[in-house]
Amino acid sequence: MGIPSEIAVGSEQYARVVAWLNCESELLDTGQERKWLETMVSKEIVYQLPLRQTIERARGTGFATNTFHLDESYGSLMSRVVRNESGFAWAEDPPSRIRHFVTNVRVRQSENDQLEVKNNLMIYRTRRDQTLPQLLSGERQDVLRIEDRVLKLYRRTILLDLTVIETHNLAIFF
Amino acid sequence: MSSGQSTTRKPSNFSEQVLEELRRGLPRGEIPAALFGNDEIYNLELRKIFARCWVFLGHDSEVPASGDYVRRKIGEDNFIVVRDEDGEIHALFDACRHRGVQICRADSGNTDIFRCPYHGWAYDTKGNLLGAPLWKNAFGGMSKEENGLLSVANLATYHGLIFATLDPTAPPLEEYLGGMKWYLDLVFGLNEHGIEILGPPQRFVIDANWKSGSENFSGDDYHLGTLHRSVWAIGAFPVSFPDNMMGYHIQASAGHSLSFSMAPTEDDPGPKFFAYPDDLAASFNTARIDQEQLGVARRSRVFVGNVFPNFSILAAPMTDDGVHFPPTGVLTIRTWQPMGAGKFEAWNWFCAYRNMTPLQKERVYKSGLASFSMGGVFEMDDTEPWILAARTGRSVTAEVLDFKLNYKMGLPGVGISKRTENWAGPGVVYSPRYEEGVQRNFFRFYSELMGAERGSWPKFSLD
Repeated sequence: MGIPSEIAVGSEQYARVVAWLNCESELLDTGQERKWLETMVSKEIVYQLPLRQTIERARGTGFATNTFHLDESYGSLMSRVVRNESGFAWAEDPPSRIRHFVTNVRVRQSENDQLEVKNNLMIYRTRRDQTLPQLLSGERQDVLRIEDRVLKLYRRTILLDLTVIETHNLAIFF
Repeated sequence: MSSGQSTTRKPSNFSEQVLEELRRGLPRGEIPAALFGNDEIYNLELRKIFARCWVFLGHDSEVPASGDYVRRKIGEDNFIVVRDEDGEIHALFDACRHRGVQICRADSGNTDIFRCPYHGWAYDTKGNLLGAPLWKNAFGGMSKEENGLLSVANLATYHGLIFATLDPTAPPLEEYLGGMKWYLDLVFGLNEHGIEILGPPQRFVIDANWKSGSENFSGDDYHLGTLHRSVWAIGAFPVSFPDNMMGYHIQASAGHSLSFSMAPTEDDPGPKFFAYPDDLAASFNTARIDQEQLGVARRSRVFVGNVFPNFSILAAPMTDDGVHFPPTGVLTIRTWQPMGAGKFEAWNWFCAYRNMTPLQKERVYKSGLASFSMGGVFEMDDTEPWILAARTGRSVTAEVLDFKLNYKMGLPGVGISKRTENWAGPGVVYSPRYEEGVQRNFFRFYSELMGAERGSWPKFSLD
């Protein structure tokens, strides 16, 4: 990735990234998963949610390097979209109600003109007649790059603040 | 999150009444709904089932070196599964002998000492009490030998799978597994290398009853056509619903059931050896199994089974991306850890044969993750009916209207499945798979154990 340099808050480029993130959240929160995938995601996407364990401080953060809850490519993300459109995706039909809250956006430019974007994510999820939400909090480590003059999601790593996940499935997009 | 707990008070003999209904109803395939949500039943299960049976804790490849440990559960309680300096594996009750404080601070790690954070009692990897601060002043004269960590009553491994029991009167593991051994052999022992675990387990909590997982993996194939219909839409699974109903339902021994999706003949097109890659399948041999076991594995498309009470196994052809990769053999093992009548934690491990190439291991892992994990296209739908069944399980209406769950498929006069003697392995065998005797076998052993006093065991033979 080279040595990245910070993009200042308030700069045109920073505003562009935040607008991109907001647009993405809107598509995901309004069930426009296919549009999100086809217009905002690179065909070479690597999309991962690593598994985490509780371990002692001296042994690191507990994130596994090669074990995941989700480890997706463009093809497998498309499988999920097609599945949800199949009429038999019982887990998400009726869909759960989700809301992405994205904050603490930090943008760095890496040498190869990619944008490294760290942001904090909170997903609020309810379904059926639930009143207590499922909350999924974590950090997204994204890499955005320009493809055919359009900003695309090229890498996404989701670092959840959980080891045991109390949600009935991970059928949602982070 | 909805509460998994029932708030209704039941008469104290309610659980006895439910268990009597179970005993009476089982031969007719009728099971009281309260088994899936009643607190009294659940509290009995912790004592009658989990505090007695052989319970799966992990695989020996998870603790390869001396001092390696993982924290695991029997019932609701934590155990430290640790390899000692001599290479032996122990399962130690995670409670300091002084004030009962849990001393294992992490899900996994490596250590030579477990030290209690309260007063500093310290134990070695065999559970021996090594000492405590200012020992002479505080405890001089007291025996260290009598104050080691408590251990399970018995621990044993089979193909590297670690099981333990809290009941010293439990029969040896191999006797407990009985006919199930023959089938575990042909899943985990297809060659001399055996299997290894790929990474730490996924853990997720669901508002449902643990038995929903166990009975489903005992051989519920019929739900694929409806609940998992979406997997055909995305090409994740290569066998059609009617074809996949071909095969065998097997009550391997008391409580343990399994199911094979299997081609009618050896020459039938379609997946062989659960769709493991050809060059891996070429390494399968009779080093650990006999020719007949190898023959059964060769014809197998899917293996799904449950070792009573809560250890489930699945081998099946899956892919994460049907457009670019053909389905490959995926092997996942899991436990359904009870957390209440209406709550359990699923632990999910992926396995690979040790002699797979790194690329094959990656394909197996990705395909397994995309299908049988909490984000997988198969399993994400499974949790849905289990949650809804648990609601009926704690329903007062189900109680007062005497609601019975239906497990009649395959009973005499119901459906086309027939008992067959034309089968190489042990157990009571039915074909094709339109049959719920595999679940009735689970509940029969369950019913007998729930009525058994500590020290006495139901018979393990099936007929």
